[in-house]
Amino acid sequence: MNAILEITPILEITNVTRRFAGLVAVNDVSFTLKQGEILGVIGPNGAGKTTLVSLISGTLPPTLGDIAFEGHSIVKLPAYQRARLGIGRTFQIMRPFPGLSVLDNVAVGALFGHGGGESELAKAREQAREQLRFVGLEKFSDQRADELGGPSRKRLELAKALAMQPKVLLCDEVMAGLNHVEIDEVIDVLKRVRERGISILVIEHVIKAIKSLSDRLLVLHHGEKIADGEPDTVLSNPQVVEAYLGRKRA
Amino acid sequence: MDLLAQILINGILLGGLYAVMALGLALVWGVLNIVNLAHGAFIMLGGYLSWHLYTYLGIDPFLGLPITAVVMFGLGYCLQRGVLNLIVRAPMFNTLLITFGLEVVLTYLAQMAFSADFRTINPSYAGSNIALGPVVIPMARLMAFGVAVVLTVGMWLFLLHSRLGRAIRATAQNLVAARLYGVEPRHLYAMTFGIGIGLAGAAGGLYGTVSQIDPYIGATLTAKSFAIAIIGGLDNPLGVLVGGLVLGIIESLTVLYIGATFGDVASFGVLVLVLIVRPSGLLGKTA
Amino acid sequence: MKALVSILLVVAVAVLAAVPWFGSDVLVQFGINALLLAVLAQGWNIIGGYTGYASFGNSVFYGLGSYGVAIAMVQWELPFAVGMIFGVVLAVAFAFLLGLPVLRLKGHYFAIATLALAQVMIAIVSNIGIAGQNIGLVLPPLNNDPLFYELSLILLVAATATVFWLTRIRFGFGLIAIRENEEGAAVMGVNTTLYKVLAFALSGVFSALAGGIHAYWITFLDPASAFDISLNVKMIIMAVFGGPGTVLGPVLGAFVLSGVSEVLSSEVTSAAGLFFGLVVVVAVIFMPRGLADLMRRFRTSGWRYFAENLRAHRI
Repeated sequence: MNAILEITPILEITNVTRRFAGLVAVNDVSFTLKQGEILGVIGPNGAGKTTLVSLISGTLPPTLGDIAFEGHSIVKLPAYQRARLGIGRTFQIMRPFPGLSVLDNVAVGALFGHGGGESELAKAREQAREQLRFVGLEKFSDQRADELGGPSRKRLELAKALAMQPKVLLCDEVMAGLNHVEIDEVIDVLKRVRERGISILVIEHVIKAIKSLSDRLLVLHHGEKIADGEPDTVLSNPQVVEAYLGRKRA
Repeated sequence: MDLLAQILINGILLGGLYAVMALGLALVWGVLNIVNLAHGAFIMLGGYLSWHLYTYLGIDPFLGLPITAVVMFGLGYCLQRGVLNLIVRAPMFNTLLITFGLEVVLTYLAQMAFSADFRTINPSYAGSNIALGPVVIPMARLMAFGVAVVLTVGMWLFLLHSRLGRAIRATAQNLVAARLYGVEPRHLYAMTFGIGIGLAGAAGGLYGTVSQIDPYIGATLTAKSFAIAIIGGLDNPLGVLVGGLVLGIIESLTVLYIGATFGDVASFGVLVLVLIVRPSGLLGKTA
Repeated sequence: MKALVSILLVVAVAVLAAVPWFGSDVLVQFGINALLLAVLAQGWNIIGGYTGYASFGNSVFYGLGSYGVAIAMVQWELPFAVGMIFGVVLAVAFAFLLGLPVLRLKGHYFAIATLALAQVMIAIVSNIGIAGQNIGLVLPPLNNDPLFYELSLILLVAATATVFWLTRIRFGFGLIAIRENEEGAAVMGVNTTLYKVLAFALSGVFSALAGGIHAYWITFLDPASAFDISLNVKMIIMAVFGGPGTVLGPVLGAFVLSGVSEVLSSEVTSAAGLFFGLVVVVAVIFMPRGLADLMRRFRTSGWRYFAENLRAHRI
């Protein structure tokens, strides 16, 4: 990692809490995402991972706490403004624009993304085609998005977010449900995304996939952060083993 | 003060009737996710049925209610089984449109069969009142209110405790849940819609004893039922009862203090306000 | 193919424009109604078909347009054109003031809130002195049906051209994204609130203009007819029958259904409404995506088209 880039965190989450009618989904979580870093967030089902992504992307407001992007608080900004600042996300429950073609799904990102996007439709489609090539979906360009199979939809989610030209990419379980070969392909795509200078927060249920990819790992359990650090150190942390791995092995 | 007490009583009595009107709409909406624009037309049909039973067969409108309800239940069951089951998975526009089409058909059939004249069901006790100090309680309205409360509470008990009721409530959460209760979904849908229409029929019979019926009352009654269902919520008949009472009282007060032409507006104004002020509290159940 | 469609469209518009020269008075009057309904269906198409919000409040825009013209001409003795502008201003103001809170609602809730707003408007207008209260207003008569016909046609062409243009620009793309998945659109940078309000206002502008023309043509209006909910239902039916979210579908739907209901009311007078209702029910069951979709797919799938629709939506 380039040491100079690590000085200003691109994303800083400070004491963020989110409650849903009595249930605490995210409890007083703080962490940073550094420039150009890949941060993996793991935790069992119901640990609050997806809620965390929604809080950062702005589809949910936090109950308490602050979220800063490039040093400025974004916690009061609506989702679309955060997108224009350069925050792109994928959805775990893949939500394309079902009636639009795969190409046009991605073109929406190019039209509206970071910095307000491209105003010409033809140019936006051209950019969209590039992103589809990048994730390996170009042969499906003209299909309707809801006709795509599961693994292809995962890639479509990535292409849509990448077309926004984001500075930060939030990936919500882009590898779940994929086989080994497909997982390796996605890992390769994400590594190439990082080479473009995009910082990435990867949420994953399956640890194996994320370990080789991440510079750093953060573990959520019942909405609380229980570990944060080097992947190997974190995964040998007894608390993590008990909360997550222990139960998995049992 | 006496006037206010009288207005409140009128509002409460009216509200009970409103609750029954909305009960069927809320049930069908909550469980089948169909907003039935023809709901008011079914209330109208129930009113005519009750009127015919009374006028030609001499059956007391309150004793005739079960007959009306059962006949309307049958109509509702057949409609859902034969027509609406074909489109339950279609987009929202389509379910709105098909029930609107039904509304048009029912209104025209009623107009052809019953003419456009006003009808009122006037049993012998229609004019009699009970005096409670300065407050006068019209007999027919009190009886209608009583039946309304019995129907609402009965509905609540049915949904909570009977096997079919539980299957219906489970279906509101998940469309195929009916199978878990060993009920064929097509049959369950038809039962639900049938019950909704049966309740509409009963509401029509009650409506005929306290107000006038003509073929065109449907649209307004549908709109009021909406308002009540939204205020009261879709998941609990007792909420609908509260919604009906709230609307009845607001309407009566509006007529007294603001003017007769604003009576109907009050319901819609309240509806819009509730939707705007508490959309989060009201969303989620069916959205 | 595209050139052929364009030529056909130009010919169709030319033929329509020539109707007052060869058609009977009755045909011209039928034409004015059909054209104005097509404008309303096309206006609804912007908020309902493209943005996915089932507005029952477009009859409010229509009513405001009617009253804008009537108040300007009767109370202030201003020319018709000023009245049209006044009506549009009223409609846009309504779209922004009430659109903001109401467009936060989703699905049925939005539909019902707009329905209720339309009812409230009737009562409010019935109590406004300048609007003639519940008695209404009588406009100065202008016996020139061909003029009204051509005005309506120009408005329809303008509305359709606007919708066509929408499908080619970023704004229209944003509206479609909102319809397809609103949350997904927001996280990709679409300012959903602004876009929805703009779509609501744009759809209101065309409805208001249609209302203005209609008011001057009919020369009389009262609150109940100006804010008539069933008119709103008609525009939805026509748009959905033709194909919501397509450029020509709503126009086609309006023409076909206007024709059907005209033929029915002259052939089977008393049961016209009944048949109209049945047509709607049958159409929803067998061609839920409208005429535009039917014409596109019928060529490839033939009669199976209807069976496929049935299978897709029943249980």
